[in-house]
Amino acid sequence: MSPTLTNTAMSTETTGAETTRGHTFDGIAEFDNHMPNWWLWSFYLACIFSVFYWLHYHTLGTGDLPSEAYVQEQKAAAAIIEAQAAANPVTDELLLKLAKEPGVVAEGEKIFKDPIRCALCHKPDGSGLIGPNLTDDMWVYGSRPMDVYTTILKGRPGGMLPHEAFGTLFVQRATAYVLSIKGKNLPGKPPEANAKREQ
Amino acid sequence: MDAMTDNKKAADCAAPSAAQKPLVHKGRVPVRRPDVDTMFSVNPDGSRNAIQPADVRGRFQRLKHGLWYVLIAIYVALPWLKIGGRPALLIDIETRHFYLFGQTFNAQDFWLAFFFVSGLGFLLFVLASLLGRVWCGYACPQTVFLEGVFRRIERFIEGPAAARAKLDKAPLHWSKLWRRGAKMLVFAAIAAVISHSFLGLFMPVEVLVHAVTASPGEHPTAFVFMLVATAVLFVNFTWFREQTCIAICPYGRLQAALYDADTVLVGYDQKRGEPRGSAGTAGAGDCVDCYRCVSVCPTGIDIRQGTQMECVGCANCIDACDEVMSKLGRAPGLVRYDSQRGFETGKRRFWRSRVAVYGVLMLMGLLAFGFAALGRTPFEANLSRAPGRSYTVEDERVHNVFVLHLINKRPGPRTFKIAVLGPKEADTTVGQTEVALESLADAKIPVHVFVPVSAFQAGVKTQLSVTCNDPEGELTRVATATLLGPSSGRR
Repeated sequence: MSPTLTNTAMSTETTGAETTRGHTFDGIAEFDNHMPNWWLWSFYLACIFSVFYWLHYHTLGTGDLPSEAYVQEQKAAAAIIEAQAAANPVTDELLLKLAKEPGVVAEGEKIFKDPIRCALCHKPDGSGLIGPNLTDDMWVYGSRPMDVYTTILKGRPGGMLPHEAFGTLFVQRATAYVLSIKGKNLPGKPPEANAKREQ
Repeated sequence: MDAMTDNKKAADCAAPSAAQKPLVHKGRVPVRRPDVDTMFSVNPDGSRNAIQPADVRGRFQRLKHGLWYVLIAIYVALPWLKIGGRPALLIDIETRHFYLFGQTFNAQDFWLAFFFVSGLGFLLFVLASLLGRVWCGYACPQTVFLEGVFRRIERFIEGPAAARAKLDKAPLHWSKLWRRGAKMLVFAAIAAVISHSFLGLFMPVEVLVHAVTASPGEHPTAFVFMLVATAVLFVNFTWFREQTCIAICPYGRLQAALYDADTVLVGYDQKRGEPRGSAGTAGAGDCVDCYRCVSVCPTGIDIRQGTQMECVGCANCIDACDEVMSKLGRAPGLVRYDSQRGFETGKRRFWRSRVAVYGVLMLMGLLAFGFAALGRTPFEANLSRAPGRSYTVEDERVHNVFVLHLINKRPGPRTFKIAVLGPKEADTTVGQTEVALESLADAKIPVHVFVPVSAFQAGVKTQLSVTCNDPEGELTRVATATLLGPSSGRR
């Protein structure tokens, strides 16, 4: 009778002097052959690795698990942004300077053209949908850089939402982009009744 | 049987079994012969026994080599092939665009993969129940590249099997160093080519070409992936080889469950071959015990001991034995493709219930995939509330903001027209009423709906019709979303 499926055909070369692990199931026994060394070593190395992993992440707590690492990264990024904001108080001059930096304007453009952000009400090109046309010279809440900045940061009556939750850097970039498209005079939504002409 | 069930006896044999095996003395050097109780590619102490299969010629070799030229061409050319200007096969992970022989899919279609993969899986089951490991021996990339490319280069640089085995044992000397070095260098280069071809199925070739010519820093993920894949392939094809098929491949380990007595496998005709004896011995069978079938085996088994786990169905032993038989003037087929029933009784059965069951499961998977792939929507048009907003009331009007998400799933560019269907009392502003989209491109269009507070009713839906100018005729879908307002909660 064959001990394993591998020798269902009669064997002429088995010695019959086999060592098995001692357990049988339905007549199937397990040979006690030496494991391949490559297998053993990958197993040993995995065991050794797991000890260090366990100590590093779970026992000593010297490493952050992914969820904690994510929170830490977010905190670090927020701290950098705060530090930058503290070092550069937002002024008309700063915003005008940012509006001339292509990198900042490009970041702002991404924010503006995001279909669920500014473009939702002002259209991707800023010519106005239900929100005012931002490329003409008619402004409801002022066109000075700090006016635009405050409008985006705090929101305005009539539908403009506040964006403080996104951080000042986000608002600065969006402001820089709005300042960069100001005066393009794209045909779009006609000026609002309460808008004033500004240069 | 008794030795297997008698625990006491088994426990008494404490020493490793293979050490007790009598070694065959061939000349003056004891030689270990393959047996069914141990893996020949692993020595009794667990170290690796490098298998150096001897050269073999024959009809199955010609068939395989012919097939491999075609398969290698396909494997290497596949990333470059285009059908209708789109990649023939591309699983673009980054953009989640999938191209499958002229069909385009996006992430929303991913559920189809279940039917496709299970259909292909059961196709392998059908093959295995009919012909055993015919996939493994003929078409698996592991075999095609190992036997069709790497082993042949090794043969060219290091010589035939005996010379390779001698070189394995030789001390590190100049002649060994340059041969091994040259081999490793060529192997590494080919591993890199294969890994790039593989990568070309997961990123567009144009991007891949740029990644190859530009600094690694520009495509760090692809570069690291390429390095790791090259290293894995190099180790696999230089050293690991048949261990992949024996110890890692799950398909190989499933085989025993897919076979039955009628599965056609590479086997040895015991009735005809036994008892073994050299030509001319009275009463001897046809097997002259020349060990050619063993020396040509790439996984180190003796096929005369029956079907074994390590056998990848390469048919080397068939060709080897047929050559010997023809030299002896005996009929070929002492080692041949046949079923267990065929070897025992000479009868063969093709149709069995297992073939039918696997076949039906395969057809179910492939047909479900085919119908679902052809019948799926040519474009997506979903209207959903703008994230983070409920509704606002401005000037006695309820303001709802939605985003219409359009995805063109056709292989070519299409134009979409958006029209407002209702409700009548609403003043609806759509960001764009005509949108042109490339294949698999998407757009998000804002939709603002104003309803006078006095006319607002809970449960009213805003309805948009989206029309696609498909060459097969205009296709229209209606996208709806429920309006929210101050009376929503009352009804």
